[in-house]
Amino acid sequence: MRYLVTLVALGGGVVSDATALWGVGTWVDRDGVRRPWEVSHTEIQRAMGHSSRVLGDLGVGPGARVLWCSMLSEAAQVWPFIVGSMLSGAQLSCADATAAEAPRVAMFCRLIDYRAVMGVTGAILDGLDEMGLAYADVFGAVAVLGARPDAYHRLTTAGLAPQHFALVGPAVAVAREPAGPALVDDAEWAVDLIDGHVAVTTKSERPTAFDRAVTCVRAASTSGNEIACA
Amino acid sequence: MTQLPPNESVYFDAEYETMPREQIAELQLELLLETIAYAYEHSPLIRETWQAAKVTPRDVATFDDFYEKVPFISKDAVRDFRDGRGDPYGGLLCVPTDELTAIMSTSGTTGDPTLVAEKWGGGSVGRPAIMYRDFWGMGVRPGDFFSLFLFTFRGPTYGFVQSLGGIPLLFDYDLMEIERLLRLSCEYRPTAMYNFGGTMILATADIAERAGIDPRDAFSSYKGMVWAGEPLGARARALADEWGMPLFEHSSVGDVTASFECSMHNGMHFWEDTVLVEGIDPEAVDHRDAQAITRDGERCELVATALTNRVAPLIRYRSDDIVRLARTPCACGRTHARIWTIGRKGDEVIVAGRSVLPIDVWSAVESLEPCRLGLFQVIRAQREVDVLRLRVGYQDTPSARLGALADEVAGAVLAKVGVTPEVQLVPNAELLRLGPPHKIPRVTKR
Ligand SMILES: [Zn+2]
Repeated sequence: MRYLVTLVALGGGVVSDATALWGVGTWVDRDGVRRPWEVSHTEIQRAMGHSSRVLGDLGVGPGARVLWCSMLSEAAQVWPFIVGSMLSGAQLSCADATAAEAPRVAMFCRLIDYRAVMGVTGAILDGLDEMGLAYADVFGAVAVLGARPDAYHRLTTAGLAPQHFALVGPAVAVAREPAGPALVDDAEWAVDLIDGHVAVTTKSERPTAFDRAVTCVRAASTSGNEIACA
Repeated sequence: MTQLPPNESVYFDAEYETMPREQIAELQLELLLETIAYAYEHSPLIRETWQAAKVTPRDVATFDDFYEKVPFISKDAVRDFRDGRGDPYGGLLCVPTDELTAIMSTSGTTGDPTLVAEKWGGGSVGRPAIMYRDFWGMGVRPGDFFSLFLFTFRGPTYGFVQSLGGIPLLFDYDLMEIERLLRLSCEYRPTAMYNFGGTMILATADIAERAGIDPRDAFSSYKGMVWAGEPLGARARALADEWGMPLFEHSSVGDVTASFECSMHNGMHFWEDTVLVEGIDPEAVDHRDAQAITRDGERCELVATALTNRVAPLIRYRSDDIVRLARTPCACGRTHARIWTIGRKGDEVIVAGRSVLPIDVWSAVESLEPCRLGLFQVIRAQREVDVLRLRVGYQDTPSARLGALADEVAGAVLAKVGVTPEVQLVPNAELLRLGPPHKIPRVTKR
C-alpha cells in the first residue's frame, strides 16, 4: 500500500509535557523473556542526540542510504536510530528482522546501494539460506554491516566483515568498526558482566531505573561502555 | 504540529469529513487537475502512457474528459517499466532520488515487493486524513494507550499514534506476542488496536486459555480494534462477538490510500479529499471500452487516483480488486464514500466452468477442528483448471489421521463450493512461515 507516503508524523507532535510517556517497548532479560519498558519523550529525545553521533561515526549522513532490520517490539530502542537516520539526511529503508523478510532484505540490497545495513539477525540469514542466496552476494557491497550476536559469526565465516550490533536490554550497543567492541551511550548506561551476560545500569535520571539488569546478550568482557561480544 | 479537535468532538476534521458531496467533487477536480499536470511533467511512466494514448493534461478540464481520455495504469505496467528500464520506482517517481527521505516497499503478498518512495513532511499536499480521522472517530483521545501490532517494513509510520496524543504499546506482528498483548491490555487498558486479523483472533482462544486470561477482560477497554488483510471467517467472528471485541475493518484502496469502517459498520470510508475512486466493468480491456459502474452496491473493479501525493502519484490505477462502492450518505454523518472488498480478480480460479475465490473456500476449511486457523492456499497454475487444488494447514493431528482429515476437508469444500478439491495437508507452521499471519499468499502457482 502506497498510502503511507502521506503519513508524515514523526511522533510527539502534540505532547507538551516531555516527561509524558512516548510508548511502552520491551527489553529482553537473561531468560529471553520480554519485559515491558516505559519510555518517556525526554529519554527518546536524549537517545536521538546519541544516535545522531553514532550514525555520523558510521558514515550515515546526507547522500547515504541505510536499511534497518528490527521488530516493532524493539522500537523504543531503535526508533531514535531509524528516525535519526532520516533527520541526518540519509535515506531510510526498513524490514522486519525475520526469516520471512529475507526476500525483502535481498530485494532492497539488490536495488539500492546501502552504506549501512543494521540489525541483521540469524533469522534473516536463515531466510537467505532457504532462498539459496550467499551472504556475500547479498551484503558484499555494504560498507557497514551491523550484525546481531546470532548473525555475527555466520557473516564472518562467509568472508564478510560485520560490526557488532546488539540490543543490550534497553540500551543499544553499536561497534564503530569491524571486530571492534560494541559501545553503549556512555552518558546513559554502564555495563558489566554477570555469569557471562551483559548487565545494564542507568547512569542518568530515568522514570524506569535499571540496576544491573541482566540481559540476554552474552559477552566475553565489558569495560566502561564497551562490550567485547562473545 | 498536528492540531487536535476538542475531546468531545465526534469528528477529527468536521468540516472535511461532513463536506457536502458537491463541494467534495469541486475539491477533487481542483486537486485532480493539479495532480495530472504535475505527474505528466515528472513521471516517465505516466507521460509515456498518456503519449501512447495521445492525451495531455491540456485535454482534461472535467471529470468526463478524464474518464473518457485518460489511460489506466496497472501493476504490471509499473513492474514492466521497472524491469525493462532498470528504474526501481517503476517510472512513477516525480522527485529527484536525492530528495527522498525514505525508500520503503510494498508488502509483496501479491508478487515481488516494489519500492515505495517517500518524502517525510513534504510528500502530501493534503490535511491529516487517514488514520487520524478514523481512529479519532473510533474514540481514541490524547493520553490513551494504543496497542500496535505491526511489522516495520513501512517505516516509523506508527508515529501517528503520538501525533494523536496516544501512547503506543509496541508488539511484533507475531502469534508469539498474543500472550503479552493480553497481559499488557489488562495492565494498561488501551482503547485502540492496530491491527489484528482472523488468524490472530483464532490463535487467541488457545493462548488465553493456557495463560489463564479471560479475553473478555483483556479486551474490555478497547473502543476500536482494527483488522485487515483477509476476510474474517465465521469462527473468528463468533469469538470476537463472545469476547466483545469492537472490530473495525480496514483495507487498502487501490494502493493509493486505505479505508476504515466507521461506527455504523456498514462499509469502509475512504477520504475523497485524498483519492478519486472509480468503479469499472472488470472485463474492460482498456479505458476506451471501460464502462463506469456508478450504481451503489454493484460489483466493480476499483480504479484509484491519488490526489495529494506529490512523490509518486498513481493516476487511474487499475487495482485488480473487485469491490462494491456506495456514495450515499452514511448514518455516521460522514459524506465520504464507502467500499466493501470482495476479492482479487487475479485470485479467481475457474474449476470446470465454476468461479471460485479464496473467500468461498474459507469457512469450509476452518470448520474442521485441526484446520481451525483457516490457513490454506489455492494452488492455481492457471486461471482455468480441471481440479481445485488446495494446500491446507493443520495442527494437533497424528500422522495416522491425516488421510481421513484430508477427506473431511474435501467433503466440507464440496458441500460449500460444489467441487471436490485435491487436498494437500501441511503443518500450520509451514504456511505461517510464508509471511505475517494475515498476509500468507492465499493463491500460489505451485
Ligand atoms: Zn460512516
